[in-house]
Amino acid sequence: MDMLLQFIANGLVSGAFYALSALGLTLIFGLMRVVNFAHGELYMLGGVMGWLATTVLGLNFFAGLALTLAVMGACGWLVDRFLIERVRDQGEEPSILLTIGLSIFLTNTALLLVGTAPLTIEGPLPNKPVFLGPVVLTELRVFAVAACAVLILAAHLVIRHTRLGRAMRATFQDPMAARLAGINTARVYASTFALGTMLAASAGMLLGSIYSTHVSAGGLVSLKAFVVVILGGMGSFAGAIVGGLLLGLAEALWGGYISTGTVDIIGFIIVILTLIFKPYGLFSTQVERA
Amino acid sequence: MTASNPKILLRVSDLHVAYGKIAALHGIDLAVGEGETVALIGANGAGKSTILRAISGLLKPSRGSIVWNGDDITGRSAEKVVAAGIAHCPEERHVWPAMTVRENLILGAFLVSSRQQVEERVGMAFHRFPRLRERYKQMAGTLSGGEQQMLAIARALMSEPRMLLLDEPSLGLSPKMADEVFEVVREINGHGVTVLVVEQNVHNALAVASRAYVVETGTISTEADSATLLEDPEVLSAYLGA
Repeated sequence: MDMLLQFIANGLVSGAFYALSALGLTLIFGLMRVVNFAHGELYMLGGVMGWLATTVLGLNFFAGLALTLAVMGACGWLVDRFLIERVRDQGEEPSILLTIGLSIFLTNTALLLVGTAPLTIEGPLPNKPVFLGPVVLTELRVFAVAACAVLILAAHLVIRHTRLGRAMRATFQDPMAARLAGINTARVYASTFALGTMLAASAGMLLGSIYSTHVSAGGLVSLKAFVVVILGGMGSFAGAIVGGLLLGLAEALWGGYISTGTVDIIGFIIVILTLIFKPYGLFSTQVERA
Repeated sequence: MTASNPKILLRVSDLHVAYGKIAALHGIDLAVGEGETVALIGANGAGKSTILRAISGLLKPSRGSIVWNGDDITGRSAEKVVAAGIAHCPEERHVWPAMTVRENLILGAFLVSSRQQVEERVGMAFHRFPRLRERYKQMAGTLSGGEQQMLAIARALMSEPRMLLLDEPSLGLSPKMADEVFEVVREINGHGVTVLVVEQNVHNALAVASRAYVVETGTISTEADSATLLEDPEVLSAYLGA
């Protein structure tokens, strides 16, 4: 019984990261209809940037996170304005090819610059254990989960309650009406991509402080983010959060009771089951897109 | 232009627009005076909506010019055209279905930065369209066709335009609802807003407009006072099958 609670706690911790990294993916898909295969690489770059900021530049964790968010947000903006802009409104396939190419480019550029060694980011708190009843976590993990929650909440508030968020939703529901209302839709798309990139990058840096990161981390992260998004429903905000937590829990329980070596298989089982029984995901947005 | 309208607000000259390689407009000339209501009438596919889309910046003209209040606005982006005072209420309404009536209205005033001013305008919209007030929390997608049309017009007015481009406001509405919509158009015009309306139902159009241009396969074939057109059944049946 004690072990079960521990597994659940571990699952919720990694689930929070899955949610955060999937959120950027689902946002970009929902609003822009771009299936971003470079999402994991943007996550990886967040980790690399975080490492550069803290280890090389010597900034503290929070200053490093702020710098990472700013730089990665700018990167996302530029990727949209100079690359994705060219394939806008041409269906999903051109953007898939484009982002696959981008992911290869980013991985190899990072490989060239920082090499293959694992990169460790100094966290803001020590790895001291925290006892919550029978469950043991570290201070750093508790902090990281709280940071995930804050970032998810912040993204939610931006989308629901700001002028930019309203413009995003308007563009998502009817781009022509958005233009006629005076919304610069090109800017909305670039802001959305920047926001999605920042969410991915912040997840990359937070997780890099718990484990470590390396330049080829992107592939697996992309796959898991896709699992979460398919489970939760493409384009659904709540779906990304619930899907992320479910995947984290499923993996922790599988790893705990069945085998740790085959944990990554659970995501694919989930995808197959979702596609068979609930192809639009748990939180379908099909109605909203009508 | 009739002599009674001293100031021309919008002048379109030799306007050409193409969709890809297919030319839709081949040299449109028209002018709208301040305070007028002018109709564009003509058969389906004649290019009436294309004219409005070119004026509002949704489409880039391949040739010709659009002069608004003395400024050349040819090829300006849609958001700059709204900012200049032209609002376009598109065909099929295009309200944001998964947003509330209130949110639709607030977004209509997207370029207004003062919150207080936006609230005032929302209040005015509710005053003008009491039915929207009753439904302000409802998702726009759940409104009836007529209510959606009212919302689309109210949203376009949120930018407080000097000119309203209105595309097929009676499309898909019951005759009673269409009458109501045109009553609103008349009232808006009475408040000094210049209106350029595209309408397939010629009688509706001529009842609300003082003048009309007849659009035929991408060109203007006739321009006349509504009264003249209404008294000329031959013109009406020849051009419009009315």
